[in-house]
Amino acid sequence: MNEVIVSMENICKTFPGVKALDHVNFELRSGEVMALLGENGAGKSTLMKVLSGVYTRDDGSLKIFGKEYGDLMPKQAQEVGVAIIHQELNMCRHLSVAENMFLGREIRGRFALNNAKMEQEAKRILDDLKIDIDPKETVGELPVSKQQMVEIAKALSINAKILIMDEPTSSLTAREIEDLFRIIRKLKSEGKGIVYISHRLEELQHIVDRVTIMRDGQYITSMNFGDVTMEQIISHMVGREIKEKFPRVECQKGKKVFEVKNLNAGKMVRNINFSVYAGEIVGFAGLMGAGRTETTRAIFGVDPKESGEIYVDDRKIEIKCPVDAIRNGVVLAPEDRKKDGLCTKLSIRHNLTLPNLDIVCNKLGVVDSKKEDALCEKAVADLKIKTPDVEVDSGNLSGGNQQKVVVGKWLARDSRVVIFDEPTRGIDVGAKVEIYNLMNELKKQGIAVMFVSSEMPEVMGIADRIIVMCDGRITGEVMARDTTQNEILTLATTFEDKKINAQSGKEEI
Amino acid sequence: MNNKSPIKKLLAVKGMGAALTGFAGLIIIYIAFGLINPAVFSSNNILNLLRSMSKYLLIGIAQSYVLITGNIDLSIGSMVAMSAMISATLMTLGTNPFLAVTVALLCCLVIGVINGILVGKFKLPPFIATLSTMFVGRGIAYMVNNNRNTDAIATGVGKETGDAFQNFFYYGTTAGIYNTFWIAIIMFIIFFFLLSKTRTGRHIYAIGSNIDAAKLSGVNVVATTTKTYLVSAVCSWVVGLILCAQAGMGNMEAGNMYEMYGVAAGVIGGVSPLGGTGILLGTLAGAAVWQTLENGLNMIGAQVGIQRLVIGIIVVVAVLLDIVLRSGQFSKKKKG
Repeated sequence: MNEVIVSMENICKTFPGVKALDHVNFELRSGEVMALLGENGAGKSTLMKVLSGVYTRDDGSLKIFGKEYGDLMPKQAQEVGVAIIHQELNMCRHLSVAENMFLGREIRGRFALNNAKMEQEAKRILDDLKIDIDPKETVGELPVSKQQMVEIAKALSINAKILIMDEPTSSLTAREIEDLFRIIRKLKSEGKGIVYISHRLEELQHIVDRVTIMRDGQYITSMNFGDVTMEQIISHMVGREIKEKFPRVECQKGKKVFEVKNLNAGKMVRNINFSVYAGEIVGFAGLMGAGRTETTRAIFGVDPKESGEIYVDDRKIEIKCPVDAIRNGVVLAPEDRKKDGLCTKLSIRHNLTLPNLDIVCNKLGVVDSKKEDALCEKAVADLKIKTPDVEVDSGNLSGGNQQKVVVGKWLARDSRVVIFDEPTRGIDVGAKVEIYNLMNELKKQGIAVMFVSSEMPEVMGIADRIIVMCDGRITGEVMARDTTQNEILTLATTFEDKKINAQSGKEEI
Repeated sequence: MNNKSPIKKLLAVKGMGAALTGFAGLIIIYIAFGLINPAVFSSNNILNLLRSMSKYLLIGIAQSYVLITGNIDLSIGSMVAMSAMISATLMTLGTNPFLAVTVALLCCLVIGVINGILVGKFKLPPFIATLSTMFVGRGIAYMVNNNRNTDAIATGVGKETGDAFQNFFYYGTTAGIYNTFWIAIIMFIIFFFLLSKTRTGRHIYAIGSNIDAAKLSGVNVVATTTKTYLVSAVCSWVVGLILCAQAGMGNMEAGNMYEMYGVAAGVIGGVSPLGGTGILLGTLAGAAVWQTLENGLNMIGAQVGIQRLVIGIIVVVAVLLDIVLRSGQFSKKKKG
């Protein structure tokens, strides 16, 4: 047990113009979970791509199970037992669990595929992991957490001994994370080596044995997790002390800016009432699937409302589509930046200007490039977007900078209400703090800030007042200053009594 | 970022790379044919080339607008035929040419609106929606004159008016260059400006890149999608009039396969059928490459079969080249 199974020394990799890896060392032992930490763009993914054979290194030595590999090919890496569980799951949504697990190495009978055998084999692996999934189910119909487990099962079915998990918990609920950790612990006990990449530092303590920290393509250090404090880890990652993980500014609470009354939209938004005052940030906490994102979408007019009134500055407004919302000063920075937030094929400039074309265009709808330049320069400077210039495709930016573009495009407007849905998901500590500062800035300007987040410490650290949702309803409201994680969690799991639920459901019909 | 030289700024425009590659290819092809047959360089040939290129430029613009939103318009050829048949039929009946072409325009616009609503509002796959309007449009082109091509337009409106119509769209020249080219180039400038400098243009790119993000940024998807199909309808209408003027009559089969020529012109010039990328300058290069090839192959005596074959290969080569160039660019920007 605990022999060194991966040893990478002085790994260098240069892309034209960028030194992505600069003499990086990395070591993984069997039966351990090694956290690979660093800000976005630190080179974690590149290093793991070298390990899995996707990239060939320029220099350095790479040993897997003691054997030196020159040019490691992806296929070779797979055969040795290296498997990556991707952040964005790589699954054929329309195929069944078993079909996905055996994709590319289907078991054939004499004439046709032997489905029974594949399903049997898949079932065996899933049972072994104590995962309750029917191999016949279609992958696209499973929740993300289950899909991820299928992917892990798939990796194990090809006899993986080194598992690389890239942000595995970013879209899981607390309970699902617990499930995942159980599986990770089991794999660990079987002597597999696990590389764990995550921005959620709080969760490391549950599973991690050692950490390796990278910054700007360089190896910083490796340590036993037990020997370091969170603050030390963060300062290694960022290269400077982050004084406050959650900077908070105190403001005088002003008059009511935003009010939502009796909002109903489908199952996940039921009878929502709340208001936001000038000078405060209202956090929305809850478990995944509590209806918070649905609420923001209904407010913003993306999804249709069944009923509900929305007031901005005591004036009732009608929002039927996002255009109405924007015109009335209500804007939304959506949850999933790749899907809803960003036109990745377009430049930063085009993205930043897209919702602000009414500002930068003249009466004939012609873009005034001077106004546009000014708007873009201001956004880049205000948000500290790291880019050589604004013509770069936004898809080429790191996650944190992409998020800044998604947020930044709304700040050029004189908005009254800004809704942030999970604005810090999957971005690094430094960028997170910049997003918080930005929200604080809006708060100071008297703009109503609605802040949806699934990360408890973050909501408690940044929001002034926290509204907790569960199952499409608001189940409680607490002041951030005098609440506890437990209190919030209790509210977040206050499900309605199923019987009452069923009755009221009937009455409504 | 303002202290860059104008040339650098020009090169920084997205899609310019593919367009310039297209123009470079154009020059190489043109010179190569010229070396085989010097008649390619004659001023007469250049004038003809510019004129025949114009049609492809216009349908290229039509298809590019739609492709950039990530959709496709298969009804272009049918709208061309409708335009030619409706205006010719009306003129053979003695209708004033202005009225005749206006009616043809309205009919094309109706098809454009239907396309826009089916795709934008009802979310039909654009391939299916415009496939159906393609058949409908062609059917109408057939029905207009009872399943026959029309007689010469001069029989209805008189020789003088007929000639004037034909000269305006095809045979006449202004400043030594055929009117057809001027019409196409003016429309090119207008639509180039619309796509690159206006609000609508930005919306078109945004929809093609990420329709959900566009919607959440306040883009009216239905209206913008419809606008692209209307641009397509207007360009097809003009091409129909050009073909009508060229033949002096309406042909039911006019514009056959033009939608695909439009795709080819766009794609050669770097317009991605996946949406979100490409500029009209590229389409101009694409249309020019296309016509220069056809013209050059003609001039060196290649047969139609060979012409088609070569053009087919060129489309693939252009796209492959684009992928290779872009992947090179991509690895430069890649981060860890």
